[in-house]
Amino acid sequence: VPVHPLRAVRRYVGRWGLIAALAALPIYYGVHDLVYGYQAGYVAGHAVYRHDLSQLGYNFAQGLSNGAIWALIAIGYTLVYGIIELINFAHGDVFMIGSFTSASLWGVLGLGLTTSVLGLTGGLLLTLVIVMVVTGSLNVLIERVAYRPLRNAPKLAPLITAVGFSFILQNVGLIWRGGSPQSVPDLIHVQQTVFTIAGVPIQRGYILAFAVMVPLVFALTWFINRTRAGRAMRATAQDPEAARLMGINVNATISLTFLLGGMLAGAAGLVYALYETNIWFFQGFKAGLIAFTAAVMGGIGNVRGAVLGGLIIGVIQALADSRMGPQWTEAVVFGYLIAIMVLRPRGLLGEETREAG
Amino acid sequence: MRRTTAIAGLAAVALAAAACSSSSSSGTTSTSSGGTVDFYSSLPMQGASSAQTVPLVNGIKLALAEAHNKAGQFTVKYTVLDDSTAAAGKWDPGQTAANARQVASDSKAVYYMGEFNSGASEVSIPILNQAGIPQVSPANTYVGLTTSLPGSAPGEPQKYYPTGTRTYLRIVPIDSIQAAAGLMAMKQAGCTKVAVANDKEAYGSGLATLLELEKGFYGVTITSNTGIDPTTPNFRSYASTIAGQGADCFYFAGIVSNGAVQITKDVHSAIPKAKVFGGDGVCTDSYTSATKGGVPAALYPLIQCTVATQDLAAYPGGKAFLAAYKAKYGVSNPDPYAIYGFEVMKLGLDTVKNLAAQGNSKSAVLHALFATTARPSVLGTYGFDKNGDTTLKSYGLYKVGSNGEPVFFKTLTPTQTVK
Repeated sequence: VPVHPLRAVRRYVGRWGLIAALAALPIYYGVHDLVYGYQAGYVAGHAVYRHDLSQLGYNFAQGLSNGAIWALIAIGYTLVYGIIELINFAHGDVFMIGSFTSASLWGVLGLGLTTSVLGLTGGLLLTLVIVMVVTGSLNVLIERVAYRPLRNAPKLAPLITAVGFSFILQNVGLIWRGGSPQSVPDLIHVQQTVFTIAGVPIQRGYILAFAVMVPLVFALTWFINRTRAGRAMRATAQDPEAARLMGINVNATISLTFLLGGMLAGAAGLVYALYETNIWFFQGFKAGLIAFTAAVMGGIGNVRGAVLGGLIIGVIQALADSRMGPQWTEAVVFGYLIAIMVLRPRGLLGEETREAG
Repeated sequence: MRRTTAIAGLAAVALAAAACSSSSSSGTTSTSSGGTVDFYSSLPMQGASSAQTVPLVNGIKLALAEAHNKAGQFTVKYTVLDDSTAAAGKWDPGQTAANARQVASDSKAVYYMGEFNSGASEVSIPILNQAGIPQVSPANTYVGLTTSLPGSAPGEPQKYYPTGTRTYLRIVPIDSIQAAAGLMAMKQAGCTKVAVANDKEAYGSGLATLLELEKGFYGVTITSNTGIDPTTPNFRSYASTIAGQGADCFYFAGIVSNGAVQITKDVHSAIPKAKVFGGDGVCTDSYTSATKGGVPAALYPLIQCTVATQDLAAYPGGKAFLAAYKAKYGVSNPDPYAIYGFEVMKLGLDTVKNLAAQGNSKSAVLHALFATTARPSVLGTYGFDKNGDTTLKSYGLYKVGSNGEPVFFKTLTPTQTVK
């Protein structure tokens, strides 16, 4: 069948336009830095300009580390959407509970600015485990109470209970730590430079974000692809009825999905508290919005897509923050989302949902 | 029948809840045969600003207690209203409007103390103006509320006074003076390039604009003035940008709840030696003290902030105020706003008292307030100009003590401001 010329053009634009759109900002600022230079400080009252890509590299390093946190949250959204096609609005707030639990555990464990490296490492690992158990269990509880009874109800019903649980958790956070953002101790001196690559300072926070995100994503991918429970998750995501006929306990599989998503949200909560040194009962709303955007951008239901989407959004945020001013950041992020959706409606790596096949 | 019972039960619960909520917001006092006048304060009693507003309300209550709840022949019924919500953690437009409407509908209301935030006063002034309620703010500094000075927005201040009659006054000097004081402090601290960030509220953006407008008077270079999104998780990109611009000082124009602590920490990490300045919106321990959720202790020596309050002990009657405050609340070094709370209540009480039988007339109280020219007070002698602005012209410069509390450093009286 001959392809309509207009469709061919659209396909061409869809493929290359997407790459052009994603590369536009970095290329523009890279060329700008090389040609015009950027102000790198003052020496003896005179502005010093540099003509290299280290400023862009710094933006990338910062953006990728921020993005690693979004990626951990986005995976929770994408797993849940992939398996029951529900936008779990409470997920961002589970992440917030993760941050709050972490900060409280630091107090209980006596972790502070004077704690030894060994004590800090042990304490933070213990915090990570406890927080992941707490948030994973919380997410399972939410599924059991608010979503499972509505499995066969119209799709709007669980959506509303998700919004309801989001507000409940926000209020828990509000009562727990009050309405204002709270500063927490900078336990790991997060902005301290560990080493420099091509003029780009690599800070402790960047290493932390990746040191937590990469192993967890690999472990999750291995779990989903290689284990019996993981195969059950994939089967349930593709066709729950067929999975049930094949002897899979669908309810238990869905609970497992919520457990994994909640655990990753808890890990993200700990990293966020360490990375930002600032926690707030409302942090989950914005983080959830960004992470959900990342999941959609990467292709909802697709774990690799969620990670990619999170990292891309992190970089876009860092570029916009640094180059255009923070007042433009959200407009730029969502402008990118619109462009990507228009050019590739199923996201960067494609949806992995029942609808998508 | 069961349905009727259920509805009746619900109604009873609702009535009980309403009764509880109204009584919980009331401040208390008894009435007497001489008549009652109603005084209100509307301030953010939740969130980071409560570190300033709780002492402020304490100051109000202290003045009322010293007057034995009387203003001349009238008994004063004082009600504390909260213009913040727990969810916002700061002032809320809806809550502010509700407070103003509540007072506007009270036929005995003659005096409204508020708001604390200039943005909130933008909401309450027009409502109270239409009801003819005299309003005195113990804290607002935004120029546009009373003047059309540079730094105000088009249509200000007329748009706040739909009746055409002024009903709003304030006892703190406006931001054209505060900005100049901040510039003086920065010049004296040796700042050569200052990065300014504002929280985009009326107070913050207005103060930042005035810093830019007045920088020439004091020879300070402002490298950038950036409106920030307070909900942003961090400001590290911003901090690296201003570091690249060579900023050696940072000024935050805004309130604590709007990301002040986080942006200060990020700027400090990017420019460790940068001196940090702020206005009265951050000159409180919820910002300056690490133990109260503020900035880390390493920043204490770098921070300076301005508040209209000067050395409390040096004020006329300041020592007596401090002694009375300590006796009543057990605190010897209250937040700088406590004395403004004391004075705003004293002003209201004295005005009603001096009006004798006319003290329960809103219009008489309003007229008397605007007629105040040389009032001897705990803040010194002051009056109001035709716009309702105080004639006081000095700001106090504060540093941070080793315990994280703001400590008075010196008085700044700017000689040059925008006209």
